[in-house]
Amino acid sequence: MNNFEEKKNKALKVLSEHEDSKLLTHLNSCVHCGLCAESCMYYLTSNDERYIPAKKVDLVASIYQRYCTFTGKYFPFLGKARELDEAAAEEMTDLLYGACTLCGRCTKHCSIGVDIGFVIKKGRQMLTEMGYTPASLQSTVNAAINSGNNMSIPESELRDTLTWLEEDLRDEVNDPDASIPLNVPNADILYTLNPREPKFFPLSISAMAKIFYAAKESWSLSTQMYDVTNYAYFTSSKSEAVTIAERLYNETVNLNAKRCVLAECGHGSRAFRWEAPNYLQKQFPFETITSVELMAEYISKGRIKLDKSINKEVVTLHDPCNLVREGGVIEPQRYVLKNAASEFVEMTPHGIDNFCCGGGGGQLAMSEYNERRMKTAEIKAEQIRKTGAKVVVTPCHNCVDQLMQIDNKFKLGVQVKTLAEIVADAIILD
Amino acid sequence: MEIDGKEFTVDGDGFLSDPTIWNEEVATLFAKYDGIQELTEKHWAIINIIRKNWEETGMAPMIRTICQTTGIRLKEIYQLFPLGPARGACRVAGLPKPDGCV
Repeated sequence: MNNFEEKKNKALKVLSEHEDSKLLTHLNSCVHCGLCAESCMYYLTSNDERYIPAKKVDLVASIYQRYCTFTGKYFPFLGKARELDEAAAEEMTDLLYGACTLCGRCTKHCSIGVDIGFVIKKGRQMLTEMGYTPASLQSTVNAAINSGNNMSIPESELRDTLTWLEEDLRDEVNDPDASIPLNVPNADILYTLNPREPKFFPLSISAMAKIFYAAKESWSLSTQMYDVTNYAYFTSSKSEAVTIAERLYNETVNLNAKRCVLAECGHGSRAFRWEAPNYLQKQFPFETITSVELMAEYISKGRIKLDKSINKEVVTLHDPCNLVREGGVIEPQRYVLKNAASEFVEMTPHGIDNFCCGGGGGQLAMSEYNERRMKTAEIKAEQIRKTGAKVVVTPCHNCVDQLMQIDNKFKLGVQVKTLAEIVADAIILD
Repeated sequence: MEIDGKEFTVDGDGFLSDPTIWNEEVATLFAKYDGIQELTEKHWAIINIIRKNWEETGMAPMIRTICQTTGIRLKEIYQLFPLGPARGACRVAGLPKPDGCV
C-alpha cells in the first residue's frame, strides 16, 4: 500500500466510524437553496462560487458518497461521488482550512438547519488524519502540547512578568498588599490567560487583576496550566484537543477551585466550556464561566462600582463568533458596556448575526491564507466605520489582533480593547 | 514582497523567510510598509532587544523584557508599533511569525 493510500484510509475512517447519525444527517440534507452563500464573507467579498458553504459541504459529502454508500461504491458514476485523491485533499485543504473561519453564520442562515460548521470540522479532521493541516496552525498546537502553552513561554518568564504586573497593580490601586496570586489552592476562582497576554499584551491581565481586587475576589492563576486556548479545536484533532482540555480540567481539580473562569477568548471558551465535557466524557465538578459573565455578575451584584463617564469616547462592540453565535453569551457584554462606557453603539448586523472579524477558525495563525483573510476583513472594516466609534471592544484576544490589523490596513483610526480593559478604566475604588 | 524596488522572500504574513539576512535596511523598509515613516531611537532600542533576545534564545522576548531593558512604557510601545510587538516590532526585527493568537 502506498503512502497516500494509508493516509486516505485514516481519513475515510472519520467518515465511516461515527457514534450516531449526526454526520449522516448533515451530509445528506442540503437542498442547495443557496441561502448560505450570502451569509459567507468569503463569498461576499470575492463572488467566487467555490467559497459557497454548500459547496464546501458537497466536497465532504461527495467523498462520503463514494466510499460509504452502496451506489457510490459500485456505481460511482451515477451520483456526485468523488475519489479522495491528492487533488481532492488539496482542494479540501484550500477551502475547509483556507476559506472558512468556522464562524457558523451559514449554519444560522441555513433553511433546513444543516450544521455546516460541523461538516467542515469533520473535513478538517480528515485532513488532519492525512497530515494536511497547514504547518503554521499545527505549529501552534505543537507548542501547546510540548510546552504547556501555545507560545512556549517558560515558567520563569511567566513568573517574572506577573511579578512586574503585580508591582504596577500596587501602584494603580495604591495598596502595597494588592496581589496577583499564584497557585493558591481552594480559591473561589482559578483564572486563565491567553498566552499572548503575558507575552505581548499584558494590559488585560492588569485590568482583570484590578477588577478582582475591586471585587475582593478569592482568585488565583496557575503557573502550571493557565492557557485558555485549544488550537486542536481548529485542527479537529480529538486526541490533542483532549490532552489540552484535560490539563486545564486537572489543574482546576488539583487546586480545588470552585470556578474556572475563562479569559476573553472565543474559541477557548467554546473548547473548554462547551466541548470539553464531551472531549473528556465527564461532568465537571466545578463551574466554568467566561470572564465576560463574571464582570456582568460583579456589576449586577454591586461588587464593583463603575463611573462610565470616565470612558468618554464612543464605543462599539465586536461579537466573537464562538462566544456569541455558538456559545449564546450575548447580553452580558452589552450590559457591561452600558455600565462602563458613556456611549455605546451597535454594529449592523450584531449579536448572533454579526460578521466574523476574519481571524477565526485558526485563520490568524495560518500565514498561508493571509491575503484572503484580509480581503474578508473588508466587511468588518466597513461595519466599524459606519458606527463612527473611536473604540472597538471585543471579548476575544484573537479578534483583538485581527481588529488591530483591520484598523491599520483600512486606516480606521480606532483603538481596540478587551472588555476587562474598559471596565478596569471605569472602576471606582472604595 | 517588494518594497521600494527591493524584493524579499517572506511568509504569507510578511515575516522574513530567512531571519539571518536581516539588516537595518530591511528594518527600515518593513517599518515603512507598516506606515512607520521613520524609525526613531526608541524604535531601534526595541528592535535591538528583540533581535538580541532572538539571537541568544531563538525566541522573541517577553514584553516585560522589552519594557524593562529599554525603559519605554508599555502603552508607548503600542504607539510606536501600531500592529503590536509581534506583527509590528518582531516583523520589523526580522523574526519569524510567533505561534499563537498573533
